[in-house]
Amino acid sequence: MLETVAQAVINGLLIGGIYALVSIGVTLIFGVVKIVNFAQGEFVMIGMYISFYLATQFGIDPIVSLVVTMPVLFVIGVLVQHFLIRRVLGPNDMPQIFLTFALSLLLLNLALMLFTANYRTVHTFYSDEAFHLGGLYIPVAKLIAFVVAMILSAALWVFLHTTDLGKAMRAASQNRDVATLMGINPNRVFCVALGIALALAGAAGSLLMPFYSAYPFVGQVFVLMAFVAVVLGTLGNVMGALIASLMMGVGESLGIQYVGADSGLLVVFAMLLLTLAFKPNGLGGGRVR
Amino acid sequence: MDKPNRLGLLSVAVLAAVVLVAPLVVTSSFAIDIFIRILLFSFLGVAWNLMGGYAKQLSLGHAAYFGLGAYTSTILQVNYGISPWIGMIAGGVVAMLASLPIGWLCFRLRGPYFTIATIATAQALMLIFLKFRDFAWGAEGTTIPNLGNAPLMMQFEAKSAYYYVVLGLLAVGLVITYAIEKSWMGYYLVAIGEDEDAAEAIGVNAPSMKRNIYMISAFLTALGGTFYTQYIYFIDPATAFSFNISIEAALVSIVGGIGTLWGPVIGTILLETTSTLLQSWLGSSLGGLQLTVYSLILMAVILWRPTGLMGMVTEAYQRYVNRRPARA
Repeated sequence: MLETVAQAVINGLLIGGIYALVSIGVTLIFGVVKIVNFAQGEFVMIGMYISFYLATQFGIDPIVSLVVTMPVLFVIGVLVQHFLIRRVLGPNDMPQIFLTFALSLLLLNLALMLFTANYRTVHTFYSDEAFHLGGLYIPVAKLIAFVVAMILSAALWVFLHTTDLGKAMRAASQNRDVATLMGINPNRVFCVALGIALALAGAAGSLLMPFYSAYPFVGQVFVLMAFVAVVLGTLGNVMGALIASLMMGVGESLGIQYVGADSGLLVVFAMLLLTLAFKPNGLGGGRVR
Repeated sequence: MDKPNRLGLLSVAVLAAVVLVAPLVVTSSFAIDIFIRILLFSFLGVAWNLMGGYAKQLSLGHAAYFGLGAYTSTILQVNYGISPWIGMIAGGVVAMLASLPIGWLCFRLRGPYFTIATIATAQALMLIFLKFRDFAWGAEGTTIPNLGNAPLMMQFEAKSAYYYVVLGLLAVGLVITYAIEKSWMGYYLVAIGEDEDAAEAIGVNAPSMKRNIYMISAFLTALGGTFYTQYIYFIDPATAFSFNISIEAALVSIVGGIGTLWGPVIGTILLETTSTLLQSWLGSSLGGLQLTVYSLILMAVILWRPTGLMGMVTEAYQRYVNRRPARA
């Protein structure tokens, strides 16, 4: 009994690391640029397809292909900010919501046309390996993904708190007007924020590839999870998003264990609705960051 | 302003005449099918536009009410033999009641997070209908018993009859929109859409306004759900709560012109015509093509014409009016 719970918690934490990469990206964009990127999940999908083709065409391991997916998605992020998002920033919500929503629809359906709806998998030598700790079972691929995800999150935290650019981003997210008065170029900061957020999504894609199938709709699973985690962890709060993502992973995993295999998402929605009902400002309550 | 109004009235009368005789002239069942789709999605767009367009509460979860309407009337019909005409109204009432708790939750958030919460509620409802099969057939869904020509059960031999039913729905939706647009409620809604805090500061009761318009919008959307199920003789959670329904209701309004009476209708005509032409040119072999084109149109509208097609028409008309005094 206790072992089953422990196993479910471990499974949840491991996948929660991936959710964290996606939700940190969403919350970073929200905090700095003040928009919600509905297309974040599609960038996870793009990361997965890049890793898939690198693995099948050139035999590059999906984890190693991080060094390709992250820079490529960083550049895509800068381009998306510079050519699309920059043009709709303003007091009106409608263009911002529906621009990134249209981008999500576009990428998803382009992928459907280019790659078809087939599931693509990459089999690595560690895909079926696992550690056994007592009665517990820890798959190697998921453990690697979790560890790398935590390293990347920590690196982002260090970047935001120690470098000038990182501090500029935090300043822009606290008060854009004052930050601009202090000589911070908002568009440059926004470009970097989008770049980092998309690079994290791409990293999530590469890390998923050894144990998860790529298909055009794959991003929707992760982005939904990320949106819930971002509300739960207080909008714009990187640390909150990380903790909430791990909680979501565990919640989903326990839901699958105790309510039924098809109920993972139902548990997630229940968590969202409970959050909205009782803690609409997130678990942190106030505007912490 | 007298002359343009007479002109407007005349064009509406001509339009009504054309729309009323269309199924008598065009008898191809393929064409009537397309007309029905256009009318249905115009109607869903009109229902969405009341809340999304005027009050700018951008929901992407209207499939929740579409599905509730469809399921209420189908359950009443299949299990209890109650006519879908009654079921349609019952579905509307169920949707209206469901919008109260859903709104209570979702309106706690503003802007994009309101949108996300609405997506989540619609998806959660779909999952509930998928999971609880004793409640309503689960994932397989059910077919509606075909009774032949039974107008009292909303079943018709002739396709044109469905055309007139959905045309009637659209007319109701447009009349309601027109009435609200001209009432105090319309001005309150626009004020909330422009700036909710400012509207509240001058005494608009924003929470109650948003709740009321959400109820009306949900009621109308549910009517569309019942009609669609009767039209295709089939219901399952994936079609009734399809995310595409939520997307299209919002899309046609934005492309046509958000917060305008005719915007959703014009938007639907453009999008549905485009998608029909694409399908006949390229075949339906390329999955994803239709939504690829829709999303490109949506991006183009947002980047270059945020007021939609209606905005372009109004600007063109303004230019025409401004030029005229010079000649007079």
